[in-house]
Amino acid sequence: MATLTVIGVGSRLRGDDAIGPLLIDALSRQTRSQIELVDAGSDALGILEYLEGREHVIVVDACQMGREPGSIVEFDSAQIDFVLKNDPISLHGLGLAESIKMAESLHMIPEDLKIIGIEPESIQFSGSLSIPVQRALKMAVDIVEDKLNRVSQLAEA
Amino acid sequence: MSRDLDIKVHHLTRVEGHGNIVVNMKDGVLEKAHLSIVEPPRFFEAMMKGRSFHEAAIITSRICGICSLGHQLTSLVATEDALGLEISEQTVLLRKLLIHGATLQSNILHAYFLAAPDFLNVGSVFPLIATHKDVVLRALRMKRLANDIGDIVSGRAVHPITPVPGGFSRIPEKAELLEIKRRLLEEALPDGLETIETMKALAGAIPQFERETEYISLKHPDEYALYEGDIFSSDTGALSVHNYLDVTNEFIVNHSTSKHAKYNRSSYFVGALARWNNNHAQLGEEAHAAAEAMGLKPNCFNPYMNTIAQVVEAVHCILDSVRIIDRLMEMGLKNEKPNQTPTRYGRGIGSNEVPRGILFHDYTYDNKGNIIKANCIIPTGQNLANIDDDMMKLVPEIINKTKEEITLNLEMLVRAYDPCISCSVHMLEVDFIE
Repeated sequence: MATLTVIGVGSRLRGDDAIGPLLIDALSRQTRSQIELVDAGSDALGILEYLEGREHVIVVDACQMGREPGSIVEFDSAQIDFVLKNDPISLHGLGLAESIKMAESLHMIPEDLKIIGIEPESIQFSGSLSIPVQRALKMAVDIVEDKLNRVSQLAEA
Repeated sequence: MSRDLDIKVHHLTRVEGHGNIVVNMKDGVLEKAHLSIVEPPRFFEAMMKGRSFHEAAIITSRICGICSLGHQLTSLVATEDALGLEISEQTVLLRKLLIHGATLQSNILHAYFLAAPDFLNVGSVFPLIATHKDVVLRALRMKRLANDIGDIVSGRAVHPITPVPGGFSRIPEKAELLEIKRRLLEEALPDGLETIETMKALAGAIPQFERETEYISLKHPDEYALYEGDIFSSDTGALSVHNYLDVTNEFIVNHSTSKHAKYNRSSYFVGALARWNNNHAQLGEEAHAAAEAMGLKPNCFNPYMNTIAQVVEAVHCILDSVRIIDRLMEMGLKNEKPNQTPTRYGRGIGSNEVPRGILFHDYTYDNKGNIIKANCIIPTGQNLANIDDDMMKLVPEIINKTKEEITLNLEMLVRAYDPCISCSVHMLEVDFIE
């Protein structure tokens, strides 16, 4: 079993929303058994499949936080109020906020779940990241690598 | 009764593309009742132009996280039609298994997470987790199995995509398929039967509303059509998918940036209820028993019953998946290579039944195998005119209810169709606790 699970959420066709899947691509250039990489695409409910039985999980997604484009914020679900769409008109309305809330209610949240939110510049249909988010992608890779080193050391200790 | 009514439901999200319900009545005369869709401009053709036939299905599968498999398979069928690529019986069976998994997943989630909270009048799925945890876990268990079918057959967990033009780039292992079969029979079937009981108990809360319309779906000579077939209209019968533009007749309306569709009437219905009405005779005994238990009859004109038709289909998908795996075992799995040698270049049409209804992909390739023209018509676009017509009939019938009740009835109506309107973005919106 891998020691760290990283889940990237987002659509590769929607500009900066692709940050989650692209981070997974960047991390997968090295093959390592300690890390489990999941490209959840834009089916956020899919994250429920990758929480149980894991100790350390990172979810990476574009987040509207009212900050500068490219800003990276690492937080856990207790630190924030998710803006829930309580009357989804279709299954397409169930996003990451709803999925995490559901996982919480079902006691499926791992002991160490961190969300890495990256403020997008644009989520219009486009095949590329904006310049601030391209920079953020490199920094996010470093954050995950650091985390991997720390949890690997913990696991060995 | 002469009454003024002004309803505007804004499903506010950070992304363009959620549906707003607008109803306007003045002195008892209904002036407006529609679902207004603000969708991004059509980007499909621009996205596909110049792409090679190897790429088309990969890109289309990313249009929408929930509808990805339907787009992927329909794209492959269109490409194979355009390039004259024959596929094997094994490929067809594996694709049918994938469609069953995707249909099971979507139909079950819709019934439990969107429709059931309406029938129980609790607003959303979240209160249900506290009161009916076992039911929510059952839904997630069925979702997981459906997901695993996708992982094993399409290799999603390992490589992004194994279904490719002309076949599969990797064939699942015999043991993997047998394990799926075991879980279908030991987990999904009992869960499916429990689902019928749950929905039966809730069926009394389904609004009684009827509007006969034109029902359009695929029709297959030998089976309940989900993968390929002819287009079938309940009004005028069958025609080839190559003539799909004669059916969809897309037109522009003022209140929506998404095009509407009409064929023999002002609107038509696509989705589980249309499939049930057109093809119920091809379902097995168990699916018919499920329909009967939940009060779904042939020629049902109540759009709210779409959810019940979805549950009937879920039962069918479970059992038919077992039959498909049995057939694959009987034939013996062959390690075939995909047939990727084009025998012609030109135009091809693909059409499958995806959970929300009939889907069309239409590509024209140049003689290098690159796309020069592309079109895609999604089920929700085809249902929009029908939803508006439903609202125009429904509002006067329930006009004596309170504004809140009317609003809820309209929202439930839209939810019954489970429209795909905010494809592709699930961005998290957060407020930090200071």
